[in-house]
Amino acid sequence: MTDDQLSVVFGALADPTRRAILARLADGDATVTELAAPFPISMPAISRHLKVLERAGLISRSRSGQHLSSTLRAAPLQEAAGWMERYRQFWDVSFDRLDAHLRRAAPERETQ
Amino acid sequence: MNRHIEITRIFDARRDLVYRAFTDPDQLAQWFGPDGCSVPRDSIEIDARTGGYLRFLMTGPDVRTRVDTVFTEVVENELLAAEMEAAGVPGVAGPLRVRLRLEFHDEGNDKTRLELRQGPFADGQLGADTRSGWESSLTKLDALL
Repeated sequence: MTDDQLSVVFGALADPTRRAILARLADGDATVTELAAPFPISMPAISRHLKVLERAGLISRSRSGQHLSSTLRAAPLQEAAGWMERYRQFWDVSFDRLDAHLRRAAPERETQ
Repeated sequence: MNRHIEITRIFDARRDLVYRAFTDPDQLAQWFGPDGCSVPRDSIEIDARTGGYLRFLMTGPDVRTRVDTVFTEVVENELLAAEMEAAGVPGVAGPLRVRLRLEFHDEGNDKTRLELRQGPFADGQLGADTRSGWESSLTKLDALL
């Protein structure tokens, strides 16, 4: 994923309605009508959110019968999360070592 | 998605001792940095005051990252807030700039709760052309500052 793509993914995720839509799609494909049901916003507004998610590669849309159905695409989501996770691991590893360091530095506090 | 990392960790040591582990270069060199990398003691320069600095070099087989930090707010034994700039971060095109905030809280029984917030990790920091270099170095350097 390029930095531009990553930006688009982060941008798409920066909205609570879009995150809720993704959460709903994690349970299975859904039509615009189904996706709009829980939200107090118009269908066109939901459609606009879906376009943003589609552009970010987070969902794909396909026609089934008369309805346009949305499907969750997890890969970009994992990539964005994975990228952040690497920074988190940096600290986790360092803190494990700090923990050991502090125990060594204060042996009088060690207990069985 | 939140572009910040937030980590809370409890250490079995007094607050002033945990704080000192971050601000004493002799100690910092002993624990800081990912596996396979080291932060040479003689590369560390620190002046832990508001407006002060922390500079160090992180080196490993495929890594040579220089980190230049300015402390924006320091309260001894309580708070280290800083703006960091890291050059030579694997997989990152250009310098990486993030804010770092470390809060040291008493947790009782001489334990200390450390709250870390770092970010924002954002747009334009991941260069497509260096992506493979990033991936290959991850086994040793799971990330960077």
